[in-house]
Amino acid sequence: MLRILVSIKQVPDTTNIRINPETGTLIREGIPSITNPYDIIALSFACYLKNNYGGKITVITMGPPQAKSSLREAVEFGADRIILLTDRKFAGADTLATSYTLAEAIKYLQAEEGPFDLYLFGKQAIDGDTAQVGPGVAVRLQVPVITQTVKFETLDLEKRIIRVHRKSENGIEILEAKLPVLLTCDKGLAEPPFSPFPLILKAVKAEPEIFTADGPVNYQREKLGLRGSPTQVKKVYTPEVKKKGKIVDLSTTPLKKVVDEVIELLKSKGIL
Amino acid sequence: MEELKFDVVIVGGGPAGLSCGITLAKAGIRALLIERGRFCGAKNLFGGVVYTKSVKELVPEFPNVEPSPVERPVTEEGYYIVSSEGLVKLLHRKKDPHEAFTATRARFDSFLAEYALKLGLEIAPKTKVLDLLKEGQRIKGVIVDRPRAFGDPRPTEIPANIVVIAEGVNRVLTEKAGLIGRPFGAEDVALAVKEIIQLPKGALEARLGLAEGQGLAVEIIGDITACLPGTGFIYTNRNHLSFGLGLFLSNLRESAFKPYELLERAKNHPHLRELFKDGEILEYGAHLIPEWGLEGLPRLYGDGVLVVGDSAGLVNPLFREGTNLAIYSGIMAGKTIIEAFEKGDFSSRTLKAYEAQLRESFIYQDLITLKKLKKHLFTNIHLFKTYPELLYDTISLFFSAQGRPKREVMREIFELIRKKRGFLGIVGDLIKVGRALW
Ligand SMILES: Cc1cc2nc3c(=O)[nH]c(=O)nc-3n(C[C@H](O)[C@H](O)[C@H](O)COP(=O)(O)OP(=O)(O)OC[C@H]3O[C@@H](n4cnc5c(N)ncnc54)[C@H](O)[C@@H]3O)c2cc1C
Repeated sequence: MLRILVSIKQVPDTTNIRINPETGTLIREGIPSITNPYDIIALSFACYLKNNYGGKITVITMGPPQAKSSLREAVEFGADRIILLTDRKFAGADTLATSYTLAEAIKYLQAEEGPFDLYLFGKQAIDGDTAQVGPGVAVRLQVPVITQTVKFETLDLEKRIIRVHRKSENGIEILEAKLPVLLTCDKGLAEPPFSPFPLILKAVKAEPEIFTADGPVNYQREKLGLRGSPTQVKKVYTPEVKKKGKIVDLSTTPLKKVVDEVIELLKSKGIL
Repeated sequence: MEELKFDVVIVGGGPAGLSCGITLAKAGIRALLIERGRFCGAKNLFGGVVYTKSVKELVPEFPNVEPSPVERPVTEEGYYIVSSEGLVKLLHRKKDPHEAFTATRARFDSFLAEYALKLGLEIAPKTKVLDLLKEGQRIKGVIVDRPRAFGDPRPTEIPANIVVIAEGVNRVLTEKAGLIGRPFGAEDVALAVKEIIQLPKGALEARLGLAEGQGLAVEIIGDITACLPGTGFIYTNRNHLSFGLGLFLSNLRESAFKPYELLERAKNHPHLRELFKDGEILEYGAHLIPEWGLEGLPRLYGDGVLVVGDSAGLVNPLFREGTNLAIYSGIMAGKTIIEAFEKGDFSSRTLKAYEAQLRESFIYQDLITLKKLKKHLFTNIHLFKTYPELLYDTISLFFSAQGRPKREVMREIFELIRKKRGFLGIVGDLIKVGRALW
């Protein structure tokens, strides 16, 4: 039986986000909250593994009380235990403080119910795009991490080895890891399941366990929230696309020449 | 796995279904409400103005609730009558500012759903009812799209003693239950198109002359619909306003206009344009409103089944009643079901009490009135073209009468009226409307 931990985050639905043109800040008012789409992939993968290998899914999230709705959604993916880390003292956390808060909670859960085999995180949260929390937790738990997991190949429960594909800048890496391992989940890894009716009913009424700064986890106060966050945001801007494309004007260059040029270019890059 | 069996299954989490569910939950009846939207209210659209009295029947402590679904109380209500040349405003300050309020469906329906959940109603969102379980003519439950377990291809059957159909205007299940005499045609439904428009900070109050805690609900008649039978509406929410048009599908089809073109045209009406200036559209939607009235009324009950709200066609467009009728019908159905459980009989013999209650109520009487009105009013093109123009021109003449003999002005006005509609025509129209209303 697999013991799976999934860590999720509720985020503003950035497809709905608007920027205040005068102040340049995000207008958050009236923006619906959703579960971070990469975390949905993590939940979907957990669900797939549970259905095929058997197991137990524990889901945690850190956030304000309304993040409860994301945990309820997790129940539709077959989550057996849901935990909300919520406290004003957690607020304002950067990736350092967040991974501390989550990792300590996970350690607490392991002491309580035994170690997890798999830790699943989203590749990144769409409201911050840092992709640092998953690896940050892995370091604190001292487990190996595979980021940007895009495909699952095999899982050998006897040997405790999982084989997955990881997307890197140079292509796809096929990796094997011994459990326990932490994966950050990327597009393609798993599709959301069609949840059964009884789970839909269960999810509506599901109440998460609440963890605060005061318990049951023993936190070092100075490492929490804004106090524990050394990150300083100096400026927010839209990054420029660095790699410039080559533009060929078809009105001045004959088509045949353009095609030849493109083929040459692809050959020189080793793509063809 | 726990057994899926309920006393009552309610299909649809709009105001009708939720009201029935709340009534049942209060009586301790084990009811399940199934809604295909992501949550109750997610899929729905409306103006909308809600009447406090109907909500109080469900939630006695309303409007003192937290979080409240109230956007703004309606403190001012009335009509804008527009011609292509100008605008006449007929507004009144309401005696009781708490009588009506504006709300959005997403927040109003989910407010009722939260309330219902606390009372013990089971709610299953994201689930669609595909069909009814039947035993001969008797309805024995529903079939939903979701399976019982992951990977199981079979839909789930959920047995129940009574099924309440609250599926709204698209009466798929009502038809499957065999309760519909005839399907509705284009003349039986209105199409409402609507936008929620966010105005720059403070503009809503400034442009409509409102203070904090004041709200406006106006219907707009005349050139706003390109003189097609129908109306426009403006309702103020807390930070944005709802603007839309309601038109008969049949007229719309005959006209050259597409619904969104008409809405664009209306928004750019020279005398309303300033209101929407620099506005940002937060939401756009279209939805049908049942207008089949008495003729299209389905049978409202059968063995093991009841029909409530829009599915039944309980809407009074003239007085902007839909939500409240949905609520009342839901409550009446709930009361009938409680009786059925006391008797242990779920056949039409007991359930017909629901129709009897409806017939005795104002809802049914209004449907009769509406039927007559519809015949005379909604087909009377003068109401949407001639009268709005006449009214504006008359008032405009009257207020530009300075420096002239007033008798001459009056004569001009009479001449105008005679030319445009004729006194006999006007008297005839008045009699028709009068007859329908009395
Ligand atoms: C633009 C517009 C403005 C309006 N303005 C006003 C107003 O100002 N005041 C007023 O009183 N009324 C207004 N109305 C009318 C009012 O919205 C309706 O009369 C009222 O919502 C009817 O409630 P209902 O519960 O019967 O149906 P609905 O609100 O339509 O609810 C039906 C529900 O059933 C669900 N459903 C349908 N089929 C299935 C299925 N097979 N399985 C699961 N779920 C299903 C739907 O998703 C929906 O949530 C307006 C309507 C429109 C379109």
